[in-house]
Amino acid sequence: MQRLNRDVVIAIVLLVFCGVFFWASFDIRQPDYGVLMPSTWPRVVLAVLAFLSMLYLFQSLGREPEGTDDGGAPRGAGLRGWIAHWRNPLWCFALFFAYLATLPVLGMLIGGVLFVFVLLGMLGGWEGRKPLFHGAVALLTIGGMWSLFTFGLDVMLPPGMIFNPFG
Amino acid sequence: MIIENVIAAFVELATIKTFMLMMVGVAGGLIAGAIPGFTIAMAVVLTLPFTFGMPASQGLATMVSVLVGGLSGGLMAGILTGIPGTPSSVATTFDGFPMARKKGEPGLALGIGVWSSFCGGIISAILLMTLAPQLARIGLEFNPWDYFMLVMFALTITASLAGKNMVKGLIAGILGLLIRTVGEDEAVGMARFDFGSDTILQGFDFIAVLIGLFAFSQLLSDVRDPAAARRSLTETGTVHVRIEHRRAIAEVAKRWTIVVRSSLIGVFTGILPGAGGSIANILAYDQAKKASKHPEKFGTGIADGIIAPESSNNAVEGGALITMMALGIPGDVTTAVMLGALLIHDVVPSPTFISDEPVLAYSIFLAFFVATFMMVGLQSFMLRVFVLVTRVRMYVLASVILGFCGIGVYAINNVEFDVWTLVWFGILGFIMRHFGFPLAPMILGVVLGNIAELNLARAFAITSDLSPFFTRPWSLFFLIIAVFSAGFPMYQVQRGRKKWTLVFLPAACFAVSVPLYMMGGIVRPVVATVVLAYGAFTVWQRARGGWRIEAALGHTVPLKED
Repeated sequence: MQRLNRDVVIAIVLLVFCGVFFWASFDIRQPDYGVLMPSTWPRVVLAVLAFLSMLYLFQSLGREPEGTDDGGAPRGAGLRGWIAHWRNPLWCFALFFAYLATLPVLGMLIGGVLFVFVLLGMLGGWEGRKPLFHGAVALLTIGGMWSLFTFGLDVMLPPGMIFNPFG
Repeated sequence: MIIENVIAAFVELATIKTFMLMMVGVAGGLIAGAIPGFTIAMAVVLTLPFTFGMPASQGLATMVSVLVGGLSGGLMAGILTGIPGTPSSVATTFDGFPMARKKGEPGLALGIGVWSSFCGGIISAILLMTLAPQLARIGLEFNPWDYFMLVMFALTITASLAGKNMVKGLIAGILGLLIRTVGEDEAVGMARFDFGSDTILQGFDFIAVLIGLFAFSQLLSDVRDPAAARRSLTETGTVHVRIEHRRAIAEVAKRWTIVVRSSLIGVFTGILPGAGGSIANILAYDQAKKASKHPEKFGTGIADGIIAPESSNNAVEGGALITMMALGIPGDVTTAVMLGALLIHDVVPSPTFISDEPVLAYSIFLAFFVATFMMVGLQSFMLRVFVLVTRVRMYVLASVILGFCGIGVYAINNVEFDVWTLVWFGILGFIMRHFGFPLAPMILGVVLGNIAELNLARAFAITSDLSPFFTRPWSLFFLIIAVFSAGFPMYQVQRGRKKWTLVFLPAACFAVSVPLYMMGGIVRPVVATVVLAYGAFTVWQRARGGWRIEAALGHTVPLKED
């Protein structure tokens, strides 16, 4: 049995999280009116969370960590193995962050099409005629959705600096 | 009164645009439900951004249509490929797939599934229309203490049913409550946990949180395995069939008792917060097997094994909508999203909702009813679309939908921060899923956080005395069932092995009868007496058996989020 298993670490992280938020709850201003102070409910919630995290900690100390939801898929050793195992979700996160970071410049149409196109390539591969297919999928789906919101639902989606340089 | 409201609601819904939107909703739901890895809740949550610009009745009718379509879509994949489209159709595959494959009758299997779903939907729509106003009348008796305890009960039971480890479920629920406290508090408008940021001061948009936690994280899980992400569904089965409606109707009609029993199981499972279609379909299958003269034939491809799960899983949402419409408490993740849709349109479901907004309430009831008919009509056509969709690789679907999530979430408030909220909560949801924390209690916590706090504030505004939480009949009732539902997972695991499990059921009966007696009147004390008598009977039975542990373990129900 490994004493410091994954569940123990999660429980400790949760306890630290409770501590930080409890500390932050002292920054909540208390008005002179109202019966239930604005900090009361969050503190009650945090106290319960801290109690449950302690319970989880004690539960986890004495046993093997519970299985994860990836069906026990084999994983290579070291950081390289970890990255290879989580490659697809990591690409999704990284590209979504890039999409959001470039949103003010590229706007939602160009940014969205590029995001979907690159993501399709990273998840599905670049061989053969795939880039052509992925490009068409990205353009048709995101273009269609952008048009639906812009023209059908009158939603002003971020145009970006390319479409709207003086905006 | 009901007729007048139904007519008014029909007038509200009877526009070509609404019907078209409902058809698109049902069609979309059928496809989303048919794709393994895409849950009904995800389909409903992704529909939400499209509906914010519509009138409330139209938007909700569209969402109800997606829901109804999704409930029936799972059977296509389950019967034709052996892979259930949603957890609600797991039991359908037990007999649906053998009937389609071994007996070579996929058209009949699909037909039985479609018509059972239809019957389940109609029975639950009728019960929704009749039971919801009655339950709302009971809800009018609730005071802030009762409401607060009801929320606590909903969270506890969801946590206890949602996963293997109840502590993790409770942690998820409490995290949901905490997320809702970020930003200005609703009672007095003070900043909370904003860490000096003006954007965080606005709080996390509830819909962005829901889409992030549920849809975004699910998509990341779907593409986690690179090989599976590049695979399509058609590699595992055949999909060239024609639905045999006439034979199917005859088969379903012959087994009407299974239809009615399973639908009732579905409705009552739905009414219970936290228990969804994933539990109801297995329960109904199990009951049908127990009641059958030929239980050994189950699993070989018999009609009974398709009728029971399909009627029950379609009936579940009617039940969940009853609780949501009458009390404002969502029964599961899907109805939590529906509640979000109502809030977008400035409608707050509560016991007075049905009487205050009868047209809107009845248009939801009616939409459920009409969408069930549409589902039957569209199923044959959508089967062909299903064939096309199943050829698409998972990574293509996931990438495109991730792109849609970004646009949809931005469109809700035209705020970029909401898209950041989406991605952060998507990551959080993905990590929580990975480590075995159920998301359903967290989502319910996010949805119910405000309701709990506001009712606590109202209770304290009346009196700072805490005793009403334990002395008011309804509050005590919810507290008792919350405590027993918290102990239920342990009871289920240790039943037949530990002595204390022998007293669990009678103790629950005795405890619940106390607040029921306190409520007064005629009906409730009678119910209390029945419950008490049942508890006493159980004690007598156990005492007669010398308080020995019986090895008779019942069915085991796989509990999964829907």
